[in-house]
Amino acid sequence: MYRIRFHGRGGQGMKTAGRILGTAFFLAGFEVQDAPRYGAERRGAPIFAYVRASRNPIFERGIISRPDLIIVADDHLPAMPGSGVLAGAGEQTVFLIYSNEEASLWQERLNLQGSVFTLPPLAENELRFRGAACAGGAAALLAELDVELLAEAVREEIDPLGSELVADNLEVALAAYAALAVNRGTVHEGGPVSAIDYASPDWLKLPCEETLLSAPAIHAPATSEMSQTGLWRSERPLIDESRCKRCWWICSTFCPDGAIQVDEERRPHIDYGHCKGCMVCLNQCPTHAITAVPEEEAAAQGEKP
Amino acid sequence: MSDTPYQHLRDLPAHHILGTGTPMCAGCGGLATLHQVYDILGEKCVIINAAGCMTLLSVYPCTPFHGSWLYTAMASAPAGAQGVRDGLDILKKKGRLSREEDLEVVVLTGDGSANGMGLSATSGAMDRNLDFLYLCYDNEGYGNTGQQYSAATPHAARTATSKGSLGYPGYKKDLFAIWAAHNPGYVATVVAAEPLDLARKIERARGLSGPRLILALAPCPTGWDFEPSASVEIGKLAVATGIWPLKEYVDGRVTHTKIPHPRLEVRDYLKAQGRFAHLFAPRENRKMIAEIQARVDRYWQKVD
Ligand SMILES: Cc1ncc(C[n+]2csc(CCOP(=O)(O)OP(=O)(O)O)c2C)c(N)n1
Ligand code: SF4
Ligand code: SF4
Ligand code: SF4
Ligand SMILES: [Mg+2]
Repeated sequence: MYRIRFHGRGGQGMKTAGRILGTAFFLAGFEVQDAPRYGAERRGAPIFAYVRASRNPIFERGIISRPDLIIVADDHLPAMPGSGVLAGAGEQTVFLIYSNEEASLWQERLNLQGSVFTLPPLAENELRFRGAACAGGAAALLAELDVELLAEAVREEIDPLGSELVADNLEVALAAYAALAVNRGTVHEGGPVSAIDYASPDWLKLPCEETLLSAPAIHAPATSEMSQTGLWRSERPLIDESRCKRCWWICSTFCPDGAIQVDEERRPHIDYGHCKGCMVCLNQCPTHAITAVPEEEAAAQGEKP
Repeated sequence: MSDTPYQHLRDLPAHHILGTGTPMCAGCGGLATLHQVYDILGEKCVIINAAGCMTLLSVYPCTPFHGSWLYTAMASAPAGAQGVRDGLDILKKKGRLSREEDLEVVVLTGDGSANGMGLSATSGAMDRNLDFLYLCYDNEGYGNTGQQYSAATPHAARTATSKGSLGYPGYKKDLFAIWAAHNPGYVATVVAAEPLDLARKIERARGLSGPRLILALAPCPTGWDFEPSASVEIGKLAVATGIWPLKEYVDGRVTHTKIPHPRLEVRDYLKAQGRFAHLFAPRENRKMIAEIQARVDRYWQKVD
């Protein structure tokens, strides 16, 4: 059985990627499961979708814990433990990472044992085709999927969204396929996973507490600030102090997250630990004092997130 | 409305008290509303939250609030508010809670709950003249479960359950009118894109007692299909095109707090959102757009 996970952010089309790849497998005669993880997280937050494909009926359910192929649509994700990109990766796990950096660099950086491939990420105006790109790249690494099956699957999945979109998605998917076609067949089916040999860890046995003690009461205000939603961002809003007119705090009022506070001198300060990068502030600032800078550039300039 | 301390934009709160780090989408218009409302209400409130996107605000051990938050079933937030209000009143009566320590009881629900299964509980709470504030963030669909249509979905919008070239065949329920027909203490519409109007209304509601209900249009980048950065623009367009009238109901009278003049065409609002894209491509559906415009025109004819 093939077990494949697509990792991206909410809104980057990982569900579409899973569906395209699943449909391609189905057209090739496989039994297929494809599903996005239904989670509490939102657009911008790390999410994943997964595909199982087998010649036999699939009785496995739930999240894939031992993937044969992991596709990473956004190369900020591996550094975020919460994204779960590396979960269950082993010797036979192949990685496909959309990144400008070399595969060998990722291999070393993440201490990966299996093969690693990279493809350059799509240009900003092509972001909405990221799902198709990921599906195309994944298909290229699988011996049973050829270009025709991929094209047919893209048509089937994208057609309900309009015929124009089909052409654009096809182009992107096929380009990704072509770029990786020499590596066809690199990914191998994993063996059956059985629960028979499962040995439970050394669980700690905790006695029951009184209800009042163990009931989930929160005794501190605004503890949500412990969650670092700044990691959702791919671009960072930067305020140019020389252009900021210290207005009546337009940016700070409109920031949906309340991530901009104003000091006594009416200077706005962005809390990068929590700014989600929606760019509402950039759009609303009347003096255009705010610009969007890609995260890695901002990080390279030494701006701490 | 000149009786509130919010006269000018510069009077708006400069300090924001709702905690950051919530899992709402980037650019969420509902969260924008809540953070502005919370700044005006202050920390001394109990939030009674029906199932919806905002359920995820408080997931143990995280909460953006400074006080208590109660999660109820989707149909019963106003009933939950009754219980909390009664509890507080009993404590006051017994002398265990001073006047200064008293809390504002705030119901927070989406439009699905407010217009649908929660409407009966809301109606009952108004019948009993419950002293509470109701904030409904209207993202015009069941956002948390993937934007299926609700009774607040506008005509022709695409939702997860209204696809095809015509979109949602029904019409948005007039919840403001339904609420106002109960003759409660206060009813108002707001939008986070008009923060001064919002601040004045929340401040006004705060000073009244009995049922006070606030209906906030909540642009939803995820469900309405637009870039998160356009969240405020969409809200402004909703007001400028007359699709979202800003008004309030007090003492049996409805007053419009901002009359767009001249009114922009509704197509400007529709065109900015992917959920209406089928009205513009592959062919422009002039008839449908004209019908939507005519409904808005008819509304304002009655006002002018
Ligand atoms: C009785 C009941 N039915 C269905 C659900 C599943 N459910 C959870 S949130 C939600 C959508 C609520 O829509 P709305 O009130 O508009 O809030 P939004 O999600 O848009 O914020 C639904 C249907 C539920 N929790 N309870
Ligand atoms: S909106 Fe612009 S001018 Fe106003 S405080 Fe923010 S950055 Fe400065
Ligand atoms: S981009 Fe601007 S408006 Fe959006 S979360 Fe960050 S600071 Fe707030
Ligand atoms: S789905 Fe819409 S309302 Fe729900 S959190 Fe996301 S933007 Fe906000
Ligand atoms: Mg809703």
